[in-house]
Amino acid sequence: MKKLTMTILLGAAFAALGAASAWAETKIQLVEVITSPQRTEFLKSQLAEFEKSNPDIKVEVISLPWGQAFEKFLSMVQAGETPDLVEMPERWVGLYANNKQLEDLGPYMKDWEEASTLGDRAKQFGSTVNNTQYMIPYGYYVNAMFWNKKMFAEAGLSGPPQTMDEFAADAKKISELGNGKYGYCLRGGAGAFGSIQQFLNNMNGKPGYFNADGTSTFNEEGSVKGLQMMQDIYKNGWAPKDAVSWGFNEIVTGFYTGTCAMLNQDPDALIGIAEKMKTEDFAVAPWPVGPSGKAYPSLGYAGWAMLADSPAKKETWKVMSFLLDNKQNLGWAKTVGVLPIHNGADQDEYFKTEQFKGWFEELSHPEKYEFVTPPTHLENLGVFYDSMVPTAFQEVLLGKKTSKEVADGWAKFLTEEQQKYMAAHK
Amino acid sequence: MTLATRNAHDENRSHRFSVALEPWLYLSPALLIITSVLIVPLIIGISYSFRKFSAFRSEYVGLEQYRTMLTDDVLHGAIINTLWWTGGSLFFQFFLGLGLALLLNRPFHGRKLVQGLVFLPWAVPTFLTGLTWTWLFNPVIGPLPHIFYAIGLQAEPVTILANPETAMWGPIIANIWFGIPFFAITLLAARKSIPSELYEAASIDGASAWQQFTKVTLPFLAPTIAITVMLRTVWIATFADLIYVMTAGGPAGSTNTIATYIYVSAFKALDKGYASAVAVLLLALLIVYALIVIQMRRALMKDK
Amino acid sequence: MQNALYTIGLYGAVFLYLAFALMPIYWTIKISVTPENLLYSEGIRLWPSRATLANYASVLRATDFPRYFTNSMIISITTALIVTAVASLAGYALSRFEFHGKTWVSLVLLLTQTFPLVMVIPPIFRIMSQLGLTDNLYGLIIIYTAFNIAFATFLMQSFFDGVPRDLEEAAMIDGCTRVMALRRIILPLTLPGMGATVAFVFTAAWSELLFALMLINSDSQKTFSVGLLTFIGKFAVDWGQMMAASVMALIPVCIFFLFLQRYLVTGLTAGAVKG
Repeated sequence: MKKLTMTILLGAAFAALGAASAWAETKIQLVEVITSPQRTEFLKSQLAEFEKSNPDIKVEVISLPWGQAFEKFLSMVQAGETPDLVEMPERWVGLYANNKQLEDLGPYMKDWEEASTLGDRAKQFGSTVNNTQYMIPYGYYVNAMFWNKKMFAEAGLSGPPQTMDEFAADAKKISELGNGKYGYCLRGGAGAFGSIQQFLNNMNGKPGYFNADGTSTFNEEGSVKGLQMMQDIYKNGWAPKDAVSWGFNEIVTGFYTGTCAMLNQDPDALIGIAEKMKTEDFAVAPWPVGPSGKAYPSLGYAGWAMLADSPAKKETWKVMSFLLDNKQNLGWAKTVGVLPIHNGADQDEYFKTEQFKGWFEELSHPEKYEFVTPPTHLENLGVFYDSMVPTAFQEVLLGKKTSKEVADGWAKFLTEEQQKYMAAHK
Repeated sequence: MTLATRNAHDENRSHRFSVALEPWLYLSPALLIITSVLIVPLIIGISYSFRKFSAFRSEYVGLEQYRTMLTDDVLHGAIINTLWWTGGSLFFQFFLGLGLALLLNRPFHGRKLVQGLVFLPWAVPTFLTGLTWTWLFNPVIGPLPHIFYAIGLQAEPVTILANPETAMWGPIIANIWFGIPFFAITLLAARKSIPSELYEAASIDGASAWQQFTKVTLPFLAPTIAITVMLRTVWIATFADLIYVMTAGGPAGSTNTIATYIYVSAFKALDKGYASAVAVLLLALLIVYALIVIQMRRALMKDK
Repeated sequence: MQNALYTIGLYGAVFLYLAFALMPIYWTIKISVTPENLLYSEGIRLWPSRATLANYASVLRATDFPRYFTNSMIISITTALIVTAVASLAGYALSRFEFHGKTWVSLVLLLTQTFPLVMVIPPIFRIMSQLGLTDNLYGLIIIYTAFNIAFATFLMQSFFDGVPRDLEEAAMIDGCTRVMALRRIILPLTLPGMGATVAFVFTAAWSELLFALMLINSDSQKTFSVGLLTFIGKFAVDWGQMMAASVMALIPVCIFFLFLQRYLVTGLTAGAVKG
C-alpha cells in the first residue's frame, strides 16, 4: 500500500514538473501563405536559429498553398482559429486591418533598435490603413522590364524601348519575325492588374488610382488609351494568342523559352529566369516612360503582421523582429527575390550585379520613376483584383467589350470604394 | 371481445408496427450520420442566402439576393454553360462507359489487367486531372494542339482553352476521361449480377445478340443506369474544381458554370450570401431532375 | 472469318480505350522523369532525352510525402469500410421495402450531393472547430463518410435490385430470418457490387482535396492531395516533383483495385433461381 502511494505521489510530482516546464514554453503559430518548398525550408532554418537563442519559445509553422491561401486563411479567421503571426501580402492588409483583426505594431517598434535602419518606405507602406502600422514589409516587389537580347538583335533592334510608343513598335517588329516569336509576354489571366495599371498610368501621365476627391483616374482619356494599347497589342498578334489566359507561370515560361521578348516583372521572376537563361541573353531595363516623360512602375510588398487575437503578443513580436532584422532580412530577400527593407541594401554584393540594375535605376531616379502601390487601405481591393478585373480584361483583349466600357466599369467601382473610405475616415 | 381475440388483435398491431419499423432500422445508421454531419450545415448554408455578406459582417436582407439573381446576366450565361457542360460530359461518358463495360464483360487476354488500368482516371485527384489536361492542350509542352493542327481541326497549334468558342471542350474532354471508369465499372458490376440462365434461355429461343442486349441486358441494367446517370449528373453540375483549374471560368466567362460562379462569388467576391442563393437555385433544379428520374425508375421497376 | 473480325474488333476497341485512359497518365510519368531544365524545351517529345529519377528521390527524401501517404491510406480505407457497411444496410432497405417516406429518404440522401461543397465548408468548419475535430484524421473520416453514404447507398440499392426478391423470400419461408437470408444468400450475390462500392469510396476519399485543405493545418496530418498543392508555389510550379508524387499516389489505388478484382470479376456463375 505504501509503495503504491509513493509511486502515485512520485508520478504526480513528475507530471507537475512536466506540466510546469511545458507551461514555461510559449507556442507561437506562424502562418506562411506565399509557400514554396525553398521558402519553407529557409524560414524553418531561420526559426531554428531563433529558437536556439530563445529556448522558451517554440514556433509552429503552418504552410498554406498559395493558390488557396486567401480562402483558407479567411476561413480560419472567420471561424476564430487565428494564428499569432501571419505572412501578409499587401493586398490583404485592407481587409484584415479595417476589420480590426491586426495588432498595431507602433508601440513595439518604438523600442526596436533595428527600426533606425529601416527604410522610410517600410514604415510608410505598413501604415496605409488609418496611419497605423499594421504590418511591416519584409521586402519590395518592384516591377521592371526583362528583355531578350537575342530576339531584339534578331529583329534589328539595338536596345530596350525607352518610351511606350517604342515599346509597341518593338513588339510589332519582333512579332514580325514569325515562327512562334512574339513581342510582349502579355498577362491576360490571374494577377493581370499589376501590368494594366502600368499601361494606364503611363499613358495618362498620372500615378496611382485616384484623384484627390476620390474619383478613379482609370477612365480618363489617357488611361483608356493605355488599355486600348493593350487591346491592340493582343489583337494585332504582338502577343501570343494563348496569352489571354496566361498567369505568372506562363508569362515567365514564355519569356525564358523565347516565345515572347519582353516581360514586365519583379525580382522574384529573376530567380526562375536566371536558372533557365544564359546571363548574356537577357537583361533588365527600367519600365519605359509614357508621353509625359515619366514612368509609373508598380511596387508591391509583403510582410509580417500580428493578429490582434494573439495570446502571446510579446513573444510574437520577438519572432517578428528577429525575422525582420537586417541580417535575417537580407538572407530572406535573396531567397525569395525581393528588395530588402533596410538602408544600405544596394551595397550588398548580391544586389550590386547587372541583373538588378533595372530595378535600382528605377529606385535611384525618382524624377523619372514614380512608384505606384496598390490602394491597400481599401477593404474590397481583393474583390476588385479577383472578380472584377479578370473577366473584364479578357473581354477587352478579345474585343468583346470596348476599352472605354471596361475602364468605366472599373472606375465606377473604385470611385465608390474610395469615397466610402474617405467618408468613414474624415 | 374474448381474451384470445384481444391478444391476437394486439399481436397483430405490434406485428404490423415492427414490420413498418423494419426498413427504418436498416436505414438508421445512414440517416443518423447524414443528419448529424451534413443536414445541419446544409441548412445553415441555405440560411446564408437570406443575408448579404462581406468578409466579416453580414446583414439580413430577406429575398434580395434572389431578386438580384433574376437580373444577373452573368448567371444566365452560366446556366447555359452549365447545360452544355453537363450534357456534353454526360452523353459521352455514359455511352463510352457502357461500351467499355460490355467489352470488359467478354473474355480476352489480359482482361484483369485492363480492368485495373482503365480505372485509373477516376483515381486521379480532379485538380491534377485539370492540370494534366491543361498541359496536354498547351502547345509548348503538350502534344494535342499539334495533333489537332496536323489533322486539320485547328488553323494553328494553340491551346483550345484560350479561345472562348472552344474553351468549354477542354474541361468536357477531361471530364469524359475522368468519368468513363465510373460508368464502366458500375455497369459492369450490374451486368455481372444478371443470371446467365436468362441469356441461355434467350439463345435457346433463338434471340440474336442485339435482341439479347435489348430484351435481357438493358431491362436489368435499367435501375443501375438510372441511378448512376442521376448521380453523375448531379456531381457534374456541382463540379467546379476541374473547370476552375483549367480556365478559371474564362476566357471572358465562356466556361463559367453555375458551380464556378458560386465559387467565385463566395471566395473572390466574398459574398457568401449571393453564392448561397445561386446554390439554392442549383439545388432546386437538381431536385426536380432527380424526382423525375426516381419516378421513371419506379415505373421501370414496376414493369419488371 | 466472322471470328477473326470479331477478335480484331474486340482487341481494337480495348486498345483504343486503353490508349485514351492511359495517355494523360503516360504524360504525367514522362514529366516526372524529365529533368527540370529540359521540361519546356523538350515539351513535346515522347520521352525526355535524359530521363532521371531525381524527382522521385527528392519527393521521398526531402518532403513529408511518406507521412501524407499513410494519412491518406488510413482515412481512405476506414471511410470505405464504414461507408460500405452502412450503405449496404440502407441500400437493402431502399431496394426491398415499400414504405411511407421512401421517396423522401431518397431525396434527403440526394440533397447531400447537390449542395456545392464550397457552400457547406464554412458551417462545417465552424462546427468541427468547436468539436476539436479540425487538424486531425478523425474529422476527415467523419466528413468523408457522411458525403459518400448517399452515393454508396444508391449504388448498393441498384445492385440489390438486380437480385430477385424470390431468393430471400424462399429462404424465409424455409425458416430463415430476414437478416440470416441477407447474410447468407443475398450479400454473397452482391459481392461484385460491394467490391465496386468499396473501390469507389476508397478512391473518393483518396483524392478528395477541398475538405482536406480547409480542415487540416499541421504537416503531420496532411493528406497526399494537399501535399501535392505544396508544389505549386506563387512563383514557380515544381512540375517534376508534383508529377512524381502523383504517380506514386496512383500506385496504391491501382493495387487496391486490382485486389478487388476478385470480387468484381468472379460475380455469379449461375443464377440461383431455378425455373
